[in-house]
Amino acid sequence: MSFLAPSAFILAVLLPIIVAMYLLKLRRSEQVVSSVYLWRRMVRDVEANAPWQRLRRNPLLLLQLLFLSLMILALAQPFTWTAGASGQSVIFILDTSASMASVDAVPTRLEAAKDQARQLVNGLADDARVTVIAASDQAQVLVSSSQDRRQIFQVLDSLQTSMGGSDLSSALGLASAIAARQPDTEIIILSDGRVNLPERLGIQGRIRYFPIGTSEDNQAISLLSLESSAGGEKITAFAQITNYSQQDAQRRLELYADGFLFNAFDLEIPAKSQRAVVADDIPLDTIMVSAVLAGQDTLPLDDQAWALTAQREPAPVTLVTEGNRFLETGLKLLPGFTVTLMKPEEFEANFANGTSESVTSAAQGDDNASQIYIFDAYVPVSPGLPTGSLLFIAPPRSTEVFTVTGLIEQPIPRLVDPDDPLISNININQVNILDAIQITEPEWARRTLEGEVGGNVYPLLVSGKIDDRRVAILAFDIRRSDLPLQVAFPLLLANLADWLSPGRSGGIPSQMLPGAAVTLSLPPDIVTATVTRPDQSKTNLSLSAGRGVFADTTQLGVYRVNWGSAGEAHFAVNLFSPQESDIAPAQNLPIIDGLQTIDDQLPMQARREWWRPLGFTALAFLLVEWLVYQRANLARLLGRMPKRLSL
Amino acid sequence: MSDSKTPFTPTQQPARSGLFEETFLRKLERIAILSKRAMAGQLQGERRSSKRGQSVEFADFRPYSVGDDFRRIDWNAYARLERFFIKLFVEEEDLTVHLLVDTSRSMDWGQPNKFTYAVRSAGALGYIALHGLDRVTITALGVYQNGNGGYFSPHRGKQNAFALFSFLQGLTADGQAQLGYALQAYAAGAPRPGPLLLLSDLMEDGWANGLTALAARGFDVSVLHILSPDEINPDLTGDLKLLDSETKAAVEITGEYDLVKRYRKGLADWQEELRRFCGARGMQYAPIETSIPIEELLFARLRKHGILR
Repeated sequence: MSFLAPSAFILAVLLPIIVAMYLLKLRRSEQVVSSVYLWRRMVRDVEANAPWQRLRRNPLLLLQLLFLSLMILALAQPFTWTAGASGQSVIFILDTSASMASVDAVPTRLEAAKDQARQLVNGLADDARVTVIAASDQAQVLVSSSQDRRQIFQVLDSLQTSMGGSDLSSALGLASAIAARQPDTEIIILSDGRVNLPERLGIQGRIRYFPIGTSEDNQAISLLSLESSAGGEKITAFAQITNYSQQDAQRRLELYADGFLFNAFDLEIPAKSQRAVVADDIPLDTIMVSAVLAGQDTLPLDDQAWALTAQREPAPVTLVTEGNRFLETGLKLLPGFTVTLMKPEEFEANFANGTSESVTSAAQGDDNASQIYIFDAYVPVSPGLPTGSLLFIAPPRSTEVFTVTGLIEQPIPRLVDPDDPLISNININQVNILDAIQITEPEWARRTLEGEVGGNVYPLLVSGKIDDRRVAILAFDIRRSDLPLQVAFPLLLANLADWLSPGRSGGIPSQMLPGAAVTLSLPPDIVTATVTRPDQSKTNLSLSAGRGVFADTTQLGVYRVNWGSAGEAHFAVNLFSPQESDIAPAQNLPIIDGLQTIDDQLPMQARREWWRPLGFTALAFLLVEWLVYQRANLARLLGRMPKRLSL
Repeated sequence: MSDSKTPFTPTQQPARSGLFEETFLRKLERIAILSKRAMAGQLQGERRSSKRGQSVEFADFRPYSVGDDFRRIDWNAYARLERFFIKLFVEEEDLTVHLLVDTSRSMDWGQPNKFTYAVRSAGALGYIALHGLDRVTITALGVYQNGNGGYFSPHRGKQNAFALFSFLQGLTADGQAQLGYALQAYAAGAPRPGPLLLLSDLMEDGWANGLTALAARGFDVSVLHILSPDEINPDLTGDLKLLDSETKAAVEITGEYDLVKRYRKGLADWQEELRRFCGARGMQYAPIETSIPIEELLFARLRKHGILR
């Protein structure tokens, strides 16, 4: 035991002073009695004349000396060395990634990590500041430089595994920033080591790593996808099972269609390898296929996966053309679209009411938001344009949204932005164009294709949003180019159609990784949608122009999205993460500057201070001393009590 | 307690006797001081004497010898046995009743006052004895009173009651008794032992020696141990320095929670010790608290203790 403030022992001179004061005790108050004969008889055996013997009999003095000694000891701040963290400031980085849900520690790795953290917190100096950072996909500071142990324990208790991966770099960055502000900081990483680490990170403070977990026995469904055949007459499920363990494993894969078991495979998976399973006997009306690896392994989370069949509601397309075989054929071959052909005269007739609403309602009835109008070499004559997405192909004259200024001949097309989704996978360089309408590029639009004519560059394909509707202008008549004869044509058509119909449920990806944000692209007039999680909890999502982002995908399973009166879509969140499924704990983290693991560390020493219990004991003695001093009054009080009660 | 110095003011006491009312004295005439042993007296009285004499109470036979009064020969015995026997009768004589009153300063204490109580008790007992045709002598046990009038010489007859009362009224409790020496001296100096009633608080070492000396001299000792209520139940708290009212000696006590309890236990032990001591020597011991009315003391308590009848 050592002392932080040994100078407090100077106060020990007070001890003899107390004794001296007892020896030089103040005179007692005098009282005359008839005779002291009896009193003398009584105290004869008690009283001794020697002052030292008198002291020996005095409990008050003993208690006072004890109290003072304890107080002096407490003031000297004794401490002992114990195992644990020693810093004046400790930052705990707890890995809460999915792999921490492994059950090789009891009950889980995360719980084991929490226990370790609690032990370390208990071993800290009383005034040490504690920061707790939960590291999964993102780093989250749960407690910052707190001395409130209760808050720290509450936060530790409330920690749960997320389904995401673990990214220690941001956590370490945060910790480093905190450590830079505080001297004598120790960073403690509690993790199984299945983490992303930055290449190089300058860290302030000491880092210690506590590896959690022992087992590496895990098999996972690392992939599950469904493919519809081209004609839609067959659905094939493809599953991939990975054995991350060092031993061969035997697992049974069960496949369920909408909850009913329809196939099972007994698989032998060699160590550190994968097995693929293809099942093509899935019923056609299946919406959801789930796969389960029967049996036990260390990480149960990745033994399940879900996949959803494509659920596309056909989007209506109105093609207004004098006749364009390429377009008609191309559109009809596009899956997920119902194409209505109209002659310009018919369109004008339907448009006779003069309002775009009446036209669209006549044409489509309801759900006009997903209506796509394609005007091929034609522009509506009436004022105003119909509601819905618009594609103008070689517009002959200006409209309210763009201006036609002339004609350009033999432009050489080229891409503006190769990453533009409208022209993905398209090789435009081999397309020859006879002539194109010259349009001035509107403010709302973005240029996708441009054509060069003698050094001047003109837009060939522009697209953009006017208010909430999507409008694209293709400046050349496809019949006056060799585009329809090339592979680029159906791709461009498909891209354009997809882009113009954002409201379809196809706008929701069918598979996600946990923690990833889902972008919902619903019909533009939908304002709210309800997302039902796998545990049946619901979240209402506000949409803007049919778009919204749902980020709370921490649960594994199938999410349902409902909107409008009957709109429904699903997406699945699966733990297809080799990093998390490969649960073999790392005994050492890859090199970080100044890293210590508990194996090769210096002796772990934490200072444990004792002044608090000493102080409390001293106060207890003080209380006892007071009680002893007042014992006569107390006894009288106690003696009087029953009498009062009986009265 | 300040008025305890002059306890017998005329306004407080009836005019005739000074100590007692007439009716009370009438009541006293019905009781007598009990003497357990027959003792030889001086004059004809109402006490059985150790001598054989002329009373109606038969005591014994003894063979006739020359010179005996032949009027006392039991002729019935002679008829049966043809030998002369003299019938002996119990002689009845007077006795000297010794009243010893402790006049030390410690007696002047308490509420009711111990000394007042002792004086009144002595007066009543003296009157009883006078009425019973006994001699009464009173001695005040106090250093300063032994020489100068602290002694009421043996008187006989009810006509001396007034003198006895006035003697008692003249006593003050302001001396130091030195009980042991005083009692030993009394035992040595008393001409004729008889019933002896000691009224004292006995709060002095030496009582044992004194009482032993009295018993050895042949006194029929009754100890009336007078204590005031606040001596039996002291109301003391805290750390105190107790001063003796008589000797000015000091005792320091520490006010512990069981102080009074321990005191009372000590008192009870002491009283038990006294009771055993007296019992072993054929004395009567009567612990008396001054809160007991005098009448109850005389008519009930002392009878119970076998001191009065």
